[in-house]
Amino acid sequence: MPKPLAKKVLLVGWDAADWKVINPLMDQGLMPTLDDMVNHGVMGNLATLRPVLSPMLWNSIATGKRPDKHGIMGFMEPDPQTGGVRPTTSTSRKVKAIWNILTQRGYKAHVVGWFAGHPAEPINGICVSDLFPYATAPLDKEWPLAPGAVHPESMRKTFAGLRMHPAEVTEAAILPWIPRAAEIDQEKDKGLQSFAKILSENCSVHNAATWILQNEPWDFLAVYYNGIDHFSHGFMHFHPPRMEGIPEDKFEIYKDVVNGGYRFHDMMLETLLELAGPETTVILVSDHGFHSDHLRPRGIPAEPAGPAVQHRNFGVVCMRGDHIRQDERIYGATLLDVTPTILTLYGLPVGEDMDGRVLVQAFEEPPEITRIPSWESEPGECGMHSADVRMDPAAAQAVLQQFVALGYIQPPSEDQNKAVEVAVREQQYNLARVYLDSRRYHDAVPIFEELKTKWPDETRFAQHLAQCYLALGRRAEAKKILEWLLTYEPPKRPAKPAEGEQPAEGAEAAQGGPAQAQPAAVPPTNGQPAEAQPAAQAVENATAAAPVPPADLHAPAALTAEPAAEGTEPEKKEPRPRPWADLLMGIIQFEEGDMDSALEWLLKAEQADPRLPDLHLRIGETYLRQKRTNDAERAFMRALDIDGDSPEAHLGLAMVYLRQRRNEEAAEQALLAVGLQHFLPMGHFYLGVALARLGHRERAALAFETALSMLPGLMAAHRWLATLYTHPGGDPEKAARHRGIFLQMRKRRQEMAQA
Amino acid sequence: MITIVSGLPRSGTSLMMQMLAAGGMTILTDGERRADEDNPRGYYEWERAKLLPREPNLIAEAEGKAVKVISQLLLALPASYRYQVVFMERPLAEVVASQAEMIRRRGTAGPPLGREQMISALQVHRNLVMNWIKAASNISLRVVPHHDLLGDPMSVSQTVQQFVGLPLDVAAMAAQIDPSLYRQRVT
Repeated sequence: MPKPLAKKVLLVGWDAADWKVINPLMDQGLMPTLDDMVNHGVMGNLATLRPVLSPMLWNSIATGKRPDKHGIMGFMEPDPQTGGVRPTTSTSRKVKAIWNILTQRGYKAHVVGWFAGHPAEPINGICVSDLFPYATAPLDKEWPLAPGAVHPESMRKTFAGLRMHPAEVTEAAILPWIPRAAEIDQEKDKGLQSFAKILSENCSVHNAATWILQNEPWDFLAVYYNGIDHFSHGFMHFHPPRMEGIPEDKFEIYKDVVNGGYRFHDMMLETLLELAGPETTVILVSDHGFHSDHLRPRGIPAEPAGPAVQHRNFGVVCMRGDHIRQDERIYGATLLDVTPTILTLYGLPVGEDMDGRVLVQAFEEPPEITRIPSWESEPGECGMHSADVRMDPAAAQAVLQQFVALGYIQPPSEDQNKAVEVAVREQQYNLARVYLDSRRYHDAVPIFEELKTKWPDETRFAQHLAQCYLALGRRAEAKKILEWLLTYEPPKRPAKPAEGEQPAEGAEAAQGGPAQAQPAAVPPTNGQPAEAQPAAQAVENATAAAPVPPADLHAPAALTAEPAAEGTEPEKKEPRPRPWADLLMGIIQFEEGDMDSALEWLLKAEQADPRLPDLHLRIGETYLRQKRTNDAERAFMRALDIDGDSPEAHLGLAMVYLRQRRNEEAAEQALLAVGLQHFLPMGHFYLGVALARLGHRERAALAFETALSMLPGLMAAHRWLATLYTHPGGDPEKAARHRGIFLQMRKRRQEMAQA
Repeated sequence: MITIVSGLPRSGTSLMMQMLAAGGMTILTDGERRADEDNPRGYYEWERAKLLPREPNLIAEAEGKAVKVISQLLLALPASYRYQVVFMERPLAEVVASQAEMIRRRGTAGPPLGREQMISALQVHRNLVMNWIKAASNISLRVVPHHDLLGDPMSVSQTVQQFVGLPLDVAAMAAQIDPSLYRQRVT
């Protein structure tokens, strides 16, 4: 077993934390603790997974596995106890989390508030579930902890006393965040109640974590805070600069809440670090980012988990500790990498069935990484719920049906049946999107087909099915669906999700936490203070019947689309245009080699919704094919106007500049692209081409080698390396090897073409 | 304090209710479900218990009384009351056989599961419920094996009386045991 590289590990989860908000605050000295951690450790983007839904993501962080393996498939699941639905529970997780593995190896591991962490697991340490902080009654009434919220049971009373009730949030706590709180008419505007709820819940989580650090022996502590996500869902509309449609008086009242939320988390981090001590390795992560600028959507899709459209594809990662590099940036990290990295810190093997990798770049010296086939088959007590309390939904439904048949319980109501149906549907949908995200199109297709057949009015299923067909080269089928969608008249849908259609966690925050928790105070709807609603609501209504833009468009090229803003025209009477369908039609034409037709579709999409980021990348690619490099440059620039952090747009510009022989600019754009997303083989390749042309042979060779490490079949890179290594001072042996590989690949390609 | 008699359906809950009633305990029942071939001495049920998942505070009506709440519905009990639960246990093979017979007589339809699958599902359900009870700080629990009750009615009645903490007539409780009503015995 390799030598451990960390004595203790503190894993801090900040849901939805985003460098785009953090960086300006650090620059102003307003997040000094994280700033210090960044300066003495490594930091970088943490790429999320799709669908960008927090229960799935946080369990991927804790297991190193995609959701199809860990089994947490969304916000809600059928409830075998009531016949209705409930927030997804820890008994549904099928694999070991990092705290189970550490328990199995005898470490003292604690976990506080992890998403989908209820009931608390019987680990070798304290486990506090995510139901722990929710206030279920007014302060003057008894406020019992949910059964199963704390393990061990003997700690229940202690932890119950650590909770803070929303009603305990005093004026003194509110005024630094909302100095003009006195102007709020609390009868109409529930923003303060929402604020107090989020603040108190996160204080409760923090109290539990700090109590453990102060009173318990520990080797590992994972603590999850939902505050940034909930403040963002509730108040990002008021974050500067003021969005169109947000009343100025409300903007002035709430504009500092999001920044205040981040600063508050920084203060809590300070306490955690002090208590953890300098010998502790600290890892801070978020599961996704949150649009805080001009990309903030002005409408929320009227579908389950619709508020997830506000999420950005990159969260944050920051690590500090012994053997960790200092003041460095790391690239290409995904949230799947967190658990393999923690295992390596403890000198433990990484499971080969884990989908993530060790963040080697974060270490001063490359760590020794050992592997085992799977932790799931390793014997020993791991502190998971025992198999005899994990009930599969089918068995649970059978028991309920039996008791109904016996006359002992009432049959589930129509509402409950509907809620279960919707929960199961969304789980299936999310599973198919996991397959889509991991490019397992063959697995995704039958699920989308079934969903489309059963729920034809939910055009998102058809849309994703078309994407899969496209990725599989089944263009005719994709086209057929798109033609149907382009003429489809959707029925009017309710603006708010039905029961069981649990929205994203932000809205959940505003609705008082998981369904079984009764809020002590009635918060606003949709995560926004009530009087912020009219403008946003008008847009939301307008988008209610509109299909959702593609969230995981990466077929067939590696161009990804962020969840896009939708609905800029609130009161349209004519059928809504479907820019995403136009976009897909454009992609089909592109694939079929008809660039004129492709451009026609893409420009139609642009006319309907110019804010689709992926659209401009496609337009740029099409112009490039047409050798219209100036037009292509403009298109990629438009993409950057929409999202300055788009690696694909920088990559597109690199291609343009290479065509135009503007090699320095090409190198600069390629560097920007790989800086944003390290795992971008074509970015390294174009960087290599630009550097080679500029005469930087060694750096060019390094870039080509990097590209090949990511994409070994990149034939042109072998040819470039063969040439570069042939030069005086080069490496004839390597040159010969790359030439050999290139020739072999070219021969194979020719044979395949002939066949 | 609310006294609850619970367990899986067909595990002896009606019998325990009958014993408590005979012992002098105040029972919360509405008599809506009448005695039949499956329970010749009556069910001692409180129909509104079925509404607990939607209206948990209905349980307030049982304050100071004993009420039958089957295992599934225990999970709907609000945490704001204190309960003492007498939980009836019976071999699951017998429970499943008895339930099957009752479903047949009622002319309703159970789930399409085989006997072993049903036993397994009920086992998990039972474990879930017991874990839930054990995790709840406002519930005290006494498990009463059905076989023990039939084998030594007096001793078990005393145990239950002590658990309930009321001056019940233990002899009257024990006298309710009628082995002839014990069907679906598998051992």
